[in-house]
Amino acid sequence: MSIIDLTSMAKPQEDIKREINQRLLKLKEELPDYCYQCAKCTAGCEAHKLLELEPHKIVALLKRGLIDEMTNSDVIWTCMSCFKCWERCPQKVAPVEILFALKNLSVASGKQIPGQYTSILQSVLTIGLIQDIQTITSKEGKTIDRTALSLPQLSKPLEPMKFQAVIAQLAMEKI
Amino acid sequence: MKKKYGLYPGCVMPTEQYAYELSAQAVLSKLNIDLIDIPNQSCCGEPLKSVNKLMTLYLSARNLALAEHHNLDLFVPCPMCHLALSEAKKILKENPDLKEKITAQLQNEGLTYQGTTSIVHTIDLLHDHIGLETIKKHVTHPLKDLKVAVHYGCHLNRPKDIGRPVDSENPQKMEHILKTLGSNPVDYPQKLDCCGALLTINLPESALTKTGQKLDAVQNLGFDVFVDTCPWCHKMFDARQTKAGETVAKKLSVPVVYLTQLVGLAFGFKETDLGLHLNQSPVDALLSR
Repeated sequence: MSIIDLTSMAKPQEDIKREINQRLLKLKEELPDYCYQCAKCTAGCEAHKLLELEPHKIVALLKRGLIDEMTNSDVIWTCMSCFKCWERCPQKVAPVEILFALKNLSVASGKQIPGQYTSILQSVLTIGLIQDIQTITSKEGKTIDRTALSLPQLSKPLEPMKFQAVIAQLAMEKI
Repeated sequence: MKKKYGLYPGCVMPTEQYAYELSAQAVLSKLNIDLIDIPNQSCCGEPLKSVNKLMTLYLSARNLALAEHHNLDLFVPCPMCHLALSEAKKILKENPDLKEKITAQLQNEGLTYQGTTSIVHTIDLLHDHIGLETIKKHVTHPLKDLKVAVHYGCHLNRPKDIGRPVDSENPQKMEHILKTLGSNPVDYPQKLDCCGALLTINLPESALTKTGQKLDAVQNLGFDVFVDTCPWCHKMFDARQTKAGETVAKKLSVPVVYLTQLVGLAFGFKETDLGLHLNQSPVDALLSR
């Protein structure tokens, strides 16, 4: 379900719309009130110089209620979660956590998930890990995996059906 | 008597970063630490935190529950997993509602959670638990005249509110270990810069640029070797070094090794025991010294 589906349906799905709005409202209430726009977060931001992420502006825009605009924006996906903004904020605002919440919100409201996130999620669902055993090449050109190095068996969920059922249920949970 | 830790390998180390696993096993075994394999583990959830934080919390909680079931403290060599597990422990302690929700789901997998497991990373295990004195006793091949650049990895440093094994702004534990090995770690302005690895998921070019910028600075400063302790960071700096160089229009040639590999060399281990034949960066320059 995407935003386009919502707008193109003959009969608007009022329930879903209301639910999304409630989630947006919840985030707004939880926004910390103490940011005084010192921009220390942006000064240290690893994504700032390269990708123009400005955490202090995200906080300011959210306080003005522009939540939908933020969840629609690509800029929230440029954070590389280095946690410098959380560490250095004199007011304990933790913009990185706000960005996680916005991304969660964006996913929950059915917007396109960027890059490889969907395939990572798929992999965790099926084998419990973000990827399966890779064959690597040594400097002499030999192909090597865990068996060749006498490393023990990979630890992964022993009862995949039960594991998948829980993860699938959590994926549907409201934020 | 050997001290026992459960091994929580995470995803990246056991599926491709075999050098870290080999070198950690070798070095810790020499230091009288037994690593116990725990079956049934899964991803810690941290790479999926952007998608669904509740899922991250559950995934971390189930791995902590498994360690509790085996009555083991956990050795977590990946800083990202270490942060996820530490954060889950904190959240479940402070938020009874969430704890109730998560424990209810854990029951579906036949697991229970109390919150009794301690978590250690490679650096605090070596520095705080084993101690520099003990490490020093095992050094047979001191790493003389080796100018080392250290890279901790963001998740190991910050945020300190969650409790991190090293200082957030001026970490020095790795330097202490390296000095004990006889080498010469030197601070540099870019020490706390991020490798960009998490961006690989959706902005791979930008991720490589972050890596390239940091390695370029390290190369210009004339370091002999670059040392890290994170499988995500290592993958960027080691395996993807040439590509990272292309994004900043530089030819990079920096030997990149895991801390455990350097410790192993100082302990006199063979290169293959430490997985040094698996490093993709030019480590030969280091080994021929």
